[in-house]
Amino acid sequence: MNNTNLLQISDLHVEVEDRIILNGLNLDVAPGELHAIMGPNGSGKSTLAQVLAGRDKFEVTSGSIQFKDSDLLSLEPEERAREGLFLGFQYPVEIPGVNNAYLLKAALNAKRAVNGKQEVDAFEFMKLIKDKMELMQIPTDFLNRSVNEGFSGGEKKRNEILQMLMLEPQLAVLDETDSGLDVDALKVVATGINTLRSPERATILITHYQRLLELVVPDYVHVLYDGQIVKSGNKELAQTLDERGYDWVKIETEKK
Amino acid sequence: MSTINLQEVFDASLDQPDISAASRSLRNEAMVSFNETGFPSRKHENWRYTDLKPIVSGEFDPSPQPINSQQEKKASQDIEKSILDSKALRLVFINGQLSTNNTFPNELNGLSISKKTESYKSIDVLQGKELFKDYPLAALNTAFSQRETLITLDEGIQITKPLHLIHINSGTEPRAIHPKIAIDIGTESELTIVQHFISSNPEPGWTNSVTLINQNKGSLLKLYRFQEYPHEQFHTELLKSRLGNNAELKLGYVDLGGKLVRNDVHIDLAEPGAACSIDGVFLAINGQHIDNHTLIEHSAPRTTSQESFRGIIGEHGRGVFKGKVVVHRDAQGADAQQSSDNLLLSEHGEIDAKPELEIYTDDVKCSHGTTVGELNLEQLFYLCSRGIDETTAKGLLTFAFANTILQRIEVPEVRKRAASSIAGELPDHQNWGGLL
Repeated sequence: MNNTNLLQISDLHVEVEDRIILNGLNLDVAPGELHAIMGPNGSGKSTLAQVLAGRDKFEVTSGSIQFKDSDLLSLEPEERAREGLFLGFQYPVEIPGVNNAYLLKAALNAKRAVNGKQEVDAFEFMKLIKDKMELMQIPTDFLNRSVNEGFSGGEKKRNEILQMLMLEPQLAVLDETDSGLDVDALKVVATGINTLRSPERATILITHYQRLLELVVPDYVHVLYDGQIVKSGNKELAQTLDERGYDWVKIETEKK
Repeated sequence: MSTINLQEVFDASLDQPDISAASRSLRNEAMVSFNETGFPSRKHENWRYTDLKPIVSGEFDPSPQPINSQQEKKASQDIEKSILDSKALRLVFINGQLSTNNTFPNELNGLSISKKTESYKSIDVLQGKELFKDYPLAALNTAFSQRETLITLDEGIQITKPLHLIHINSGTEPRAIHPKIAIDIGTESELTIVQHFISSNPEPGWTNSVTLINQNKGSLLKLYRFQEYPHEQFHTELLKSRLGNNAELKLGYVDLGGKLVRNDVHIDLAEPGAACSIDGVFLAINGQHIDNHTLIEHSAPRTTSQESFRGIIGEHGRGVFKGKVVVHRDAQGADAQQSSDNLLLSEHGEIDAKPELEIYTDDVKCSHGTTVGELNLEQLFYLCSRGIDETTAKGLLTFAFANTILQRIEVPEVRKRAASSIAGELPDHQNWGGLL
């Protein structure tokens, strides 16, 4: 095992309802890196994100995922989060009746408990969140509103990034955080993602489009097709995909 | 246990000089009616799911008890524990008797509070033979109620501060308490009432409450009823209300405690444009039985009603909901919306929810829906993916289910109190410190 990797996915096979979605996927992510995963619809991008976060409706039939020192697949979703993994949802769920403040405090406290720290008090919480809310251009009444209820698509995505900034994960997996955003919202989200980039942290960005990658520049770009990573490259690959689409990659893959 | 003869206790309670002829005759009528009907049995359609046997066999003593000073002192502590700040308007009833020392103030700009001794037309039309026959427990209440408290608000008065009615079951003996409140809201007037039922009695007891309400033209009454007994208590009640032209009633029902609880609500939207809403939340866990029966009558054109009940049913809990809406022949343009949503936390819980719609006119808008479900797995995963353990996440979601209704309570201190009480009562709830 390569100890410099934060995440090491080896020969991952995943099924849902007897349908094979991931079919021998390999991916290594080292601290400080940003990996973009692109690919046509149905290639398994979101499944990968959900499997990493621990969604139990997907069945891992073989392969392994090492995250830091842990066998990720043996951990519950909440344990993965406390270990420092964060999933930015493609479709963040609405939770009427749960305030954003409850959610964020509960999440912060859960993480703190693991590190033997005291629960966050109201004053400290406000201090922590104030700048981040400004950065994400989230209005002040937001904390007393129910999680994602009645939020526009853009607000939901900004809220995901706000949660990420609060929880400061070591590995953020952002699933189509750019979809449905207008140019201004895209800039805000990109700023949020870049804010957290550091030599200790890594990011996996799942996206359809190249436009986010102009603002958040990736170290690696991978193409996921038919449940495998079939091509990897640097940021130029994203540009090529944007210009030429995925068909040439498909043809190339099938030739092999 | 000695057998209580209700008739004997009743006769003794009437054998007092200060009872007016009017109330003597009303109470007699009620007792005669109760003797004819007896306690409702499960053979009756409205009582199919709720068995009063534990109350009947409890033989709770309904004879009046004067308040002693110890109880008064204890009551003021209980009140502090409930929602109040010291300046809150309040009426405090200890075992059905008004505790004058704990009451504040006696009169306030157009609001008057008195003991109803003589007949009072707009209230008395709400009670009598028919009511006693339909609601035998209300007859029993009237027969044994020692004090019918009359709250009246003059025309054109808006009182913004809520008036708290606090009913305390106090003492150490099993007892039957029959509180009775009559409310008359003047034309274009506004009042908010918070009715609390609490108990510091370690023995099981039975509270059987009746609230009669008349609302005149254009008046607005918000009434939030908050029941927070320990789990040994029995509670039954009837709220009956009549609304005049464009009057509006907003009801909120929160039931957290009690072993066996049965709430009846009967609202008559009697004149054009009258509107009511009922928002209810109940918790039936650890063997609790909570039953809400509502009847809303649309008797006039353009009357509207909106009703939503949410039940959380846990281990060996039992919830019952029956919501009947009748749209009468004259009620063109009526609008009635009703929903009953229930969360089953345990396979050993049970909910019987039944909407019932009777429509005797065209041109109405009516809808009703009943759901019984479990926690939403997508939401659960979302919370867990943020590091929140499954138990806490389930607690948050269960709380949220109730909280969407609680958010409609327009008195902030009651809303907050209800929210934190529900959070505290949830099974397996943990790690709530500092969240609320």
